[in-house]
Amino acid sequence: MASAWAGWQRDFGWTNPIAGLSLKTIGPIASVLTASTVYWLGSSAARSFDPTNLAYILVGAALYAHVAAYSWVPSLAITEGKWSNVFTQVYISPKSSPPYLAGRCLASFATSAITSGGSLVGASVISIYLFNTGLPFVLTPVSIGLLVVALVVNIFASMGLGFLLSAYTIFATKFEWALPVYVSGLLMVFSGALFPVTLLPWPVSAVADVLPFTEFIRAARVALIAGYPGSFWYYLGLSFVGGLVFLVLGLAAYAAAEHRARRLGVVDRKAV
Amino acid sequence: MRASLWLRTAYARMWVRTKSIYGEPLWVVVTIGFPLFTSMALSLLYKSSNASQFTGFAILGGVMISFWGNVLWSMASQFMWDKQAGLFEVYITSPAPISAILVGMSLGGVLGTAPSAALVALIGWALFNPAISPAWPAVLVVFTLTLASLYAMGMALSSLYLVYGREADSINEALHEPVSFLSGVYFPQQMLNFPAAVQIAASLIPLTIGMDALRRTLFSGEGLQQISFHIGVLALMAAVLLVLSQKMLKLLEERGRRAGTISVRIR
Repeated sequence: MASAWAGWQRDFGWTNPIAGLSLKTIGPIASVLTASTVYWLGSSAARSFDPTNLAYILVGAALYAHVAAYSWVPSLAITEGKWSNVFTQVYISPKSSPPYLAGRCLASFATSAITSGGSLVGASVISIYLFNTGLPFVLTPVSIGLLVVALVVNIFASMGLGFLLSAYTIFATKFEWALPVYVSGLLMVFSGALFPVTLLPWPVSAVADVLPFTEFIRAARVALIAGYPGSFWYYLGLSFVGGLVFLVLGLAAYAAAEHRARRLGVVDRKAV
Repeated sequence: MRASLWLRTAYARMWVRTKSIYGEPLWVVVTIGFPLFTSMALSLLYKSSNASQFTGFAILGGVMISFWGNVLWSMASQFMWDKQAGLFEVYITSPAPISAILVGMSLGGVLGTAPSAALVALIGWALFNPAISPAWPAVLVVFTLTLASLYAMGMALSSLYLVYGREADSINEALHEPVSFLSGVYFPQQMLNFPAAVQIAASLIPLTIGMDALRRTLFSGEGLQQISFHIGVLALMAAVLLVLSQKMLKLLEERGRRAGTISVRIR
């Protein structure tokens, strides 16, 4: 809880939460709109525009950005913490760094859930105006509740990814700040966010097809888009199982990395 | 003497930036990530929408977004980071003209970003092979002027960022995607039904005019004559932004000297 609070303060301590959240929502809205515009332009030229596909892209673009926004936060906490000596303090107390990283990740999850929800709503409203179309979203308490359940279940996979990245960051002294770009880019291409993963060459498509992030986005689409094929609980179940695998792998990798880092004394190592 | 000092300062700053990038090949890996993945994803989106003829827009967007990212993160915010590291006080106490430092930083930025931008173009063209019909002299002129005006905007923003602290990162993140969307980096922005005020605001961003002109010259084969308006506007923007950046830097430097905020460091 203390770490989650520290994460919240890090994000919003310099301003009020409304201004902070607004600044964090503007970027994702524009990013979702870019993807939806590309679809609108392409499909209009090909005379194959379908509002269901537009809704598919809006949901995918908002949710991959959500995952990217908080899954790299444990890694960020280490990078920043090394620089500001916060992580060194956390690190010297026994068994405290995984809870610290998990807390920072959860704080960022809360922020990102709000901003990605805002970006989905904002981009959808602007899309309706810009493209002069309706969107087949199902907005009922049940569908929104299912989306919230999917968001919560996906925490396992995202946190697992966060620990995996942290296992690298704990040793890195330069360029670790580039990781979020790669996380975001890989998710954009390999999680079925903007186009079906079947479009990717085999075996990449086979791997992308079973990623927990892909299943999470599928589950969210079933919950939110009218007539979207598939079973919400089936996709969510796959996301949950994949998420647990990611989390176990991530924690194991981080524990091994931390053990090695303690022996080598690399936490205080800084790039100049 | 003054001209010589200006040139030597610009060269020195350009050399430092270029050397820091070319001396560390990992830089290319770092800077290519965002533009490459975005242009690949959007090219695949064009392809999945049965509009393969537009994949070139996404690749060109990836090339230009590399430079926009460099302007935002390595030009606009640079003085803020220099201030935190204590380097900015060295700049202003030395006889080196700040304008020369900014111009050197810009030239170094262009040279440093060029490898990753070129790689995005090469990989994109190899993977998607979009049809192009280029008028190369016009492409070259427009590309140069777009970069000139974009980096002049970076210089103007750098003075603004001097007054910011850690909020600069949040502002950068908030600016990056909206500017890319409003400028139509990945699609012809004029096709969208923007309200007039948004359209006017977007037209004030050099990237909007530059992207439109680049698409016309690269994909529609329009020559210098057909895009003379774009060229004039881009040249004007570069000149105005350059003058504006000088005035703003002077103003904020003066304010910083009086308030004693120039030497504030984070660590």
